[in-house]
Formats: sequence, structure tokens, C-alpha cells
Amino acid sequence: MEILRINNVHKAFGEKKVHTGVSLSLNAGETIGLLGNSGTGKSVLLRSIIGLEQIDEGEIYYHDKRIDNLDEEEFYEIRRKISYSFQNAALFDSLNVFENIAYPLFEHTKLTEEEIHHKVDDILKVINMPHAKYLMPSDLSGGMQKRVGLARAIILDPEIILYDEPTAGLDPVNTDIVIKIMNEFKRRGFSGIFVTHDIPSAKRVCDRILILRDGKIYFNGSVEEFNHSTDPFVNTFGSDHRGQHAIP
Amino acid sequence: MSAIKDTLILIGDILIFTKDVFARILNSPFYPGRLFDQILQIGYGSLSITIVIGFVTGLVMTLQFGYGLAKFGGTLYVPAIVSVSLLRELAPIFTSLLIAGRVGSGISAEIGAMNVTGQIDAIRALGTSPIRVLVVPRVLATILTLPLLATLASFTGIVGGLLISYLEFGMTAGFYINKVLSTIVFADIFGSMFKCAFFGLIISILACYRGFHTKEGTRGVGNATTWVVVHSSIIILISDFFLSKVILVGFY
Repeated sequence: MEILRINNVHKAFGEKKVHTGVSLSLNAGETIGLLGNSGTGKSVLLRSIIGLEQIDEGEIYYHDKRIDNLDEEEFYEIRRKISYSFQNAALFDSLNVFENIAYPLFEHTKLTEEEIHHKVDDILKVINMPHAKYLMPSDLSGGMQKRVGLARAIILDPEIILYDEPTAGLDPVNTDIVIKIMNEFKRRGFSGIFVTHDIPSAKRVCDRILILRDGKIYFNGSVEEFNHSTDPFVNTFGSDHRGQHAIP
Repeated sequence: MSAIKDTLILIGDILIFTKDVFARILNSPFYPGRLFDQILQIGYGSLSITIVIGFVTGLVMTLQFGYGLAKFGGTLYVPAIVSVSLLRELAPIFTSLLIAGRVGSGISAEIGAMNVTGQIDAIRALGTSPIRVLVVPRVLATILTLPLLATLASFTGIVGGLLISYLEFGMTAGFYINKVLSTIVFADIFGSMFKCAFFGLIISILACYRGFHTKEGTRGVGNATTWVVVHSSIIILISDFFLSKVILVGFY
């Protein structure tokens, strides 16, 4: 079942056209990987989905409800269903780990403090950081901050998670931990869009791979199709035919 | 022409921002805990410096007026002059400029740093309004605490005046207090508090607005704090003239 649809989205920053007709869809329970060279607007597309950026043209639908034209107040409801995991984690630096993860629960639920503590303890176990509950973000490594950001993104049980380069800048061990967490989220039924340059991680998590090029979706296929693509541009992203074709 | 156009656009932008803030003050949810935190931070945090400024201003003014008026046999008028000057002008202006420097710069730096590190976007992405969460408590806290701080500065200034009047000019405490109480009227206190509430609004709105529009990383944060202190100080000094005129015409 299709839960998110993006139709012919255009977006420009001044003279620079970032998207010139992006279209894609996301099905329930599915995680798609969004690849592309730096500056092709992958993160901008994620930000547009939850209204942090206004699109210039096109439509975005969430369960057949058009959401790109909602105002800021109306978007708050959508953002509880479509959560965003920031590239730099964007943790609140004056709040500790517990307060960061619990922030959406305090804001949007009527849970008691005890229930919130219980829920946060559970999610801390999932991200393998039960010891870090009262640490400040400045006391955490980059990888730990990203894991806390992921925990905060799913604490309200959203339907879709937008992952903005969750493994960027991480060592192999932390990358592996983050990928295991993402697969656990997928197992629990969350859908996701995974923006990354980390092809092996994308292959481990995603059901489909999409590639953005020149403001449009250039490639859209399963991991299998991605691996066996003979397209020279697709091959540069690490399909099994990588190196057999050179880009003109 | 371009500078005038840019200034008009900026003023329009700030007015729209102010309208958004008031719209959210009137709508739920309200954050009493955050408001209380800000009152503590802005009000309680500024207590010691406010007391010092008020007290020292009272000492110096009494000294200057005392010796100045002594040549004309007017020392007896010192309590009246000092108390009225402090209540109507000096305490509100000094306290507001102090708060513009201490609190205005702090608010713009904090919100500016949150902006450049993506924390404002995170608040929005988590389905909450950054204006409601960050701005409303700061604006209300500044509007509420600045008049109280200015009144405290006036009080400590008058106490400072009492001390110098007694030590330097041999005035009795009873005479000094009697002169002060027979001089000041309700409009002096009301006018002072009204002006300070307005200055509090100016400081907090400019600080929050600039924080929300901070760019260029840490350099931008530095620029934002400087901008807030300079602009709020200028607006405080200019608007003080017009507010004083309105209060003098309307309440005396």
C-alpha cells in the first residue's frame, strides 16, 4: 500500500534549480535508499516532505492527503507521523539524553513521567545506550549522538522515518550499530527513506534504490536491479558492475 | 533607496514576527514551567547587578545634586529631585540598557546557536512550534521582570540617596523619607513600569527575531548579539522620549 507519493516536485534556491520534476512513492513497511552526488538535493527532498522547505511546484501526498500546501501549524500533526532523523543529530544541547528522547512524549502525549521513563529506557536498550540516560549531548561521541537522534525520531511511533545520512562520518563499528538499529525499526514496521552515500549500508537496509541526478529520479529499482545495472552512471554508485564502465 | 527599502522590509518582518508571538501567547498550549525558568534566569539572574546600579546611581546623584544645590541653599530639595529622577527616567533607562546587554544578547546568542546547529528545525520536525517553545516564555518573562527590576533599582537608588544625605549633608532619615513620599505620585511608579514593560517587549522581540535569523555559524551568532544590543539600546532611548511625553500628558 502506497503511503507517500511525490509528484513532479520542483524546487529552486534563487537561480539554482535543485529539483526539476522529482517523482517517487513509498509503500508501507518499505525502506528506500536515495542516492545521488553531493548537492543534488537529497536532504532538501526530505526537508520538503515534512515542510521544513517549501516546494515551488508539484504535489506531495501522505495517504492520499495533499500535504505540501499545509501551513506550519497544520504540518505539526504530519510531523508526528513522518519523523526526521537529522544528519548532525540536532540534539538539544541544553537537555540530557533522556530529556531529548522524551521531548516529543512530553509535548504530544498525556503519559505520566513514570511511563515516559519506562518508554525511554526501552528505546535506550534498542540503541544499546542504557547507561547514557543522563549524559549531555556534549558527552557523547558522534555515533552515539546519531543513535540518540534515531531514538528521538521513533519515540512517537511514526509511520515513516526520514533518515538523513545517519551513517555519515561514522567508523565501521558505529555504522554497523546504526544499520542494525535501522533494520530493527524496519522489522517493527516503520517505513523509511534513507538518504546516504554509504552504498553497502543502503544495500543492507533498503528494498529499493533510487538515484537523483539533474533534479530528477534517474534510477528506481530493487537492490537486485541496482546490483545488475549496466548503466555507467548507476555503476559509479557501487553496483556489481562498478568499474566495468567509465562515465563519459 | 535600497537601504530604506531594506529597513522597511526588516521592520515589516519584525512586526509580522511580533504578531505571530502574540497569536501564540493567546493560544494554548502554554508552558508555565518554561516561563518560570526564564523569569528566574532574567529576573533573579539580574538582581545583584540591578541593585548595584540603582544604589550607586542614587549615591552619585545625591552627591552631585547635594553639592550643586548647596551653593543656592537648595540641599533640602535633593530627596525630591533624586527620587523623581530615578523613578521617572534613570532607573527605567539604566535597567533597560542593562537588560538589553545582559539578557538581549544572551537570548539572541542562545537562539542563534540553536538555529545554526539545526535545533530550531528539530523543534519544528518534532511537531512543535519554536515560537511557542522558545520565544513566548522569553518575551513574557522579560515584559514581566523588567518593570520589577527597574522599581527595585529606583528603591535602592533612593536608599543610596538617603545614605549620602545623612552622611554628607546631615539630613535625618525621617526628613528624607518624608520628602520622598510627599513628592512621588502613583503616576511616577506606573509610568516607570509601563515604559519598562514596553522596553522589555522591544528587547525580547529583537533578540528572538535576530536569533531566528542567525546565519553564518558562530560568526553570525556574534553579529546577532551585537545587532541586538545596539538596536534595542537605540530604540529604547528614542522611544523613551515619546513614552515620557505620552505619560506626562496623559497621567499628570
